[in-house]
Amino acid sequence: MKLRKGESLGVILFLAPALLLFVMFFIYPIFNVVGMSFFNWNGITDPVFSGFENYKDIFTDKVFIRSITNNVIWALAACCVQVPLALLMALILSRKPRFWQSFRTIYFLPQVISGIAIAMLWSAVFNSEFGMLNGLLKMLGLGKFATNWLGNPKTAFACVLIYGLFYIGYYMVIMMAGITNIDESYYEAAKVDGASPIQTAMHVTVPLIRYSVHTCITLAAIFGLRTFEQVYLLTNGGPANRTSLVVLYLYNQMRDNNYGGANASSVILIVVGAIVIVSIRKMFKFEED
Amino acid sequence: MSKKVKDQEMSFKFIWTPKNVVMNILKWILIVFFAVYTLFPLIWLVITSLKTNAEYFANPFSLPAVPQWQNFTNAFTQANLGQMIWNSVTVAFVGTILNVVVASMASYAISRFRFRGREIIFAAFSAGIMVPLNALMVPYFTIFSKIGLIDNLMSLRILYASIGLPISMFIIRGFMDAFPVEIEEAAIIDGCGFYGRFFRMILPLVKSGLVTAGTFQFITCWNEFVYANLLTSSPKLKTIQIGIRYFTNQFTTDYVSMYAAIVIAIIPSILIYAIFQKNVITGLTAGAVKG
Repeated sequence: MKLRKGESLGVILFLAPALLLFVMFFIYPIFNVVGMSFFNWNGITDPVFSGFENYKDIFTDKVFIRSITNNVIWALAACCVQVPLALLMALILSRKPRFWQSFRTIYFLPQVISGIAIAMLWSAVFNSEFGMLNGLLKMLGLGKFATNWLGNPKTAFACVLIYGLFYIGYYMVIMMAGITNIDESYYEAAKVDGASPIQTAMHVTVPLIRYSVHTCITLAAIFGLRTFEQVYLLTNGGPANRTSLVVLYLYNQMRDNNYGGANASSVILIVVGAIVIVSIRKMFKFEED
Repeated sequence: MSKKVKDQEMSFKFIWTPKNVVMNILKWILIVFFAVYTLFPLIWLVITSLKTNAEYFANPFSLPAVPQWQNFTNAFTQANLGQMIWNSVTVAFVGTILNVVVASMASYAISRFRFRGREIIFAAFSAGIMVPLNALMVPYFTIFSKIGLIDNLMSLRILYASIGLPISMFIIRGFMDAFPVEIEEAAIIDGCGFYGRFFRMILPLVKSGLVTAGTFQFITCWNEFVYANLLTSSPKLKTIQIGIRYFTNQFTTDYVSMYAAIVIAIIPSILIYAIFQKNVITGLTAGAVKG
């Protein structure tokens, strides 16, 4: 609709609150974080310009290197395990097996429960004394494998990472919606050609929902990079920083009043995120774009 | 084409060959595995929250001899859960209403009117979905210190309303775009002004979009932990998510009350999901499929 006389004021008034909040909590913070990453600042006295010192500090800090490595592993695991599993289940459920709607509801359930509650639930699974996992192992006569899952440097990171990978509902629902939008004529053609259900899935459905798959992989990578709650609650980065993540690292830097270091690690996280989004886009090579 | 026809096209006739039977069994193993994986810990949680600590320590998988409902009252009184729930309720309600009001106003301007910068503004908002917000802890903390809202629930209400804007605008704009401009033009001829059309015509039309965005936003607010943890510190301002975590330090021996508190904390999310399930799922896909 073209703007009518006297309506520009309305449009401006209607846009203003959203723009104000967006500038305040998205645009300004990003510029602020980048700018302040070049200052030494304890949060109390005036910031002092220090060039790239904060970056030098975090890149020589073994804990930061361990954190960013963990984040990359986390993002890769989400993209390469969680999303493919979600795709598999999306293909299965969109063939509408019995009770498929109930299963969709169940799979999506963890998405509406807080990350903290889920993490506390899993701390009950991994608890060394009364945990479900050790209890199960003892019941099966495998008691010798029982361990302090979250305290053992060999198992801690795997434990905090793996449990979430099997919560596939979110990505599955996105890809199921993509499948619903596919035109029936493709399936008719596949049927005429005598394609089996698996062939149809591989050669018709999957290529046609590549936008949804792309969305899921991007989201999975971003979520992997910004994870915090699980680790904060289950291990707080331990044992010996084995499970540290960048957001936890920057949280701890903030607690130690090293705001410069916290900002530098924020910038690295944002930059890595941007690179990941762009490269996933490149990988998918959308002809239209 | 009608939905019925599509369902027929999608289903392949099942033929009893050994290969098909094996595939079918595999399929059901997968379906059941993911369902059990999701539900088992939750059911375990509810059962354990009704046991005594002694029963829990003796066997994590046993059933309670007598359901211990007082675990729930213990959780309430010992951790002041009532206050925390109230805090979460007010934060989530105000955060949701503010978010939906601001998002629908902006979506109206962007969806219905052509002006310079319109799509750039919308693209900027959409890009906001991808910003790793947890990386912005320092600036958020500084902003709220400067305006004097540290340790004040108002900071959470404003912040939650703001960080939910990109998603809400994506959803609400999608619903508004679905209505052709012509219906508004008829209203203009009848002398209906800018605000009249927004309040009396467009908002009622996109009601389900508002509910979808609101449901999403409410669940996000209710579940938020990182910034509630960062921006508040007084015990009387704790939200429920901070509250249940508090249990891990406070009652290291009273596990069953902790599990009762977790059950209390997740019931509202599950209830809202149960009521608005359709909205949650369509809202999610509206935003994501176009991505």
